[in-house]
Amino acid sequence: MNDTFSVTRFRWLFKKTVLEKLAQFIGLIIVFLICSLFTYAFCKFTAGFDVAQNAAFVFGLIGGGCFLASFVYGNFATNANGSSFLTLPASQFEKWLCGVLITAVLYVAIFLVFFRVMDTTFISIYHNSLDPKGAYYKELYDAVQPFPFNDFIATKSYMMFANFAGAMLIGTLYFNKAAFIKVALILCVLCLGAYVFNLLLANLFFKNVDSAFPYYLVWINFNKDRGKLELPSNILNIVKIMFQYIIPGILWILAYVRLREKEF
Amino acid sequence: MIDIRNLSFGYSRKKPLYKNLDLIFEPGNIYGLLGPNGAGKSTLLKTIIGLLFPTGGTISVNGYSPRKRLPSFLETIYFIPEEVYVPSLSVNRYIDLFSKFYSAFNRNQFFDYLQRLDVTTEKKLNALSFGQQKKFIIAFALACNTKILLLDEPTNGLDIPSKKRFRKLIASVLNEDRTILISTHQVRDLDNLIDHVIIIDNGELLLNASLSAISEKLCFKMIDDETFYSTILYEEESLKGKAVVMENIYREDSKINLEHLFNAVTEKSEEVKEIFNR
Repeated sequence: MNDTFSVTRFRWLFKKTVLEKLAQFIGLIIVFLICSLFTYAFCKFTAGFDVAQNAAFVFGLIGGGCFLASFVYGNFATNANGSSFLTLPASQFEKWLCGVLITAVLYVAIFLVFFRVMDTTFISIYHNSLDPKGAYYKELYDAVQPFPFNDFIATKSYMMFANFAGAMLIGTLYFNKAAFIKVALILCVLCLGAYVFNLLLANLFFKNVDSAFPYYLVWINFNKDRGKLELPSNILNIVKIMFQYIIPGILWILAYVRLREKEF
Repeated sequence: MIDIRNLSFGYSRKKPLYKNLDLIFEPGNIYGLLGPNGAGKSTLLKTIIGLLFPTGGTISVNGYSPRKRLPSFLETIYFIPEEVYVPSLSVNRYIDLFSKFYSAFNRNQFFDYLQRLDVTTEKKLNALSFGQQKKFIIAFALACNTKILLLDEPTNGLDIPSKKRFRKLIASVLNEDRTILISTHQVRDLDNLIDHVIIIDNGELLLNASLSAISEKLCFKMIDDETFYSTILYEEESLKGKAVVMENIYREDSKINLEHLFNAVTEKSEEVKEIFNR
């Protein structure tokens, strides 16, 4: 018997994991898709398409992904469920991979398909509402286009998803109860701390600092103008790689290590 | 076989629960692991299945190290915790999803055990009462035909007829390849079931002996006057007289009373140890 990975056993485990909590999984995904839809609709009417697309994408991908990541290993709230999960004859790697696939592949795929359908529908309605004979028809038509899944916002969203969902996976394996709330609080404190630390550091080197985003950007007031200082491109690339690949990679692998070492 | 050598474990470093514990569990036996609440019974079971890791010493279960929780190891051992987990599934769905992980699972045996434990199976599992859920899991665990079966307070939540059925069923599934370890603080529930008694308290092994060894070393009897008996380890007033546990100096045959044995061992552990070490 292969004690690390067996395709058959993994298939059983994946089926068992999904079907065991099918109603909860479907319910959770539907809730986040509906919330994403409401966010889109609300923002479209109050702030326009750009904001609607960005807000719905960020909320749906990161919010839903993080919640699902905390749910997928949410077996440790009770002694019975935790024991059942850890003593099921499947390898720790298979159990980890199962959580990763559900969070990072299954949910992301469902969300992206849903988002594209939702976005296209809203845009079609908008395009159909325009008067083709109107003076600015072409400009108005071109102004609203489907949200690109590879632009700045999308890329940053993937990065945040990878970091936060990875942190959620680990957090669920550390905190047996109310893991989502506890990890979310820790992440908020970390982000706020990083922002304040960056701001203090920027104030040491520059005057009239307006804001300092963690890790790559400082805005400086100069008379009535506002200018930005970015990291040199070579360092910025290193930092980007860190946040896009290395830190998420470490977090997701740490979840596996933690699962192996989990005592219950 | 479960081979525990120099086991040390503690939930905090300052307060170890077990220190240098040695135990061996042989196949073909039903072991009763007795101890008061908080004695460390569940902890011991959890270290055997690999849910808790020892801070010192080794545990070998049929040659496996439990802490690795390898599938080939987990397939050979089933742990039923005090509170069982059943998802919102029908019986057939549960079998379909969970039984595949246990290559020796026998579907016919499972339904036979369910019948013998008087479990109705029309409802979804989470709609069953706690006792029914527990009996369902016991039936499933037995049908998995694992070499080792660990049961933590299995009779908690069972009514009196169910306890009787449980005892009969467990006794019937024992074979020479199987090791069954039952932890409980309700010692009466193990009457006529176990063939080996292990008593622990505060992580200390107070007694580890087979029933035959206990019969040989200790005598359980009713007496009218204790004046002539100097080696009484435990006594309890009853309507018929005074029930006592004492050293079996005259090689008398007597029926072991597990509850009295437990009280004797926990109250006079040093004297009992001395008797068994002779």
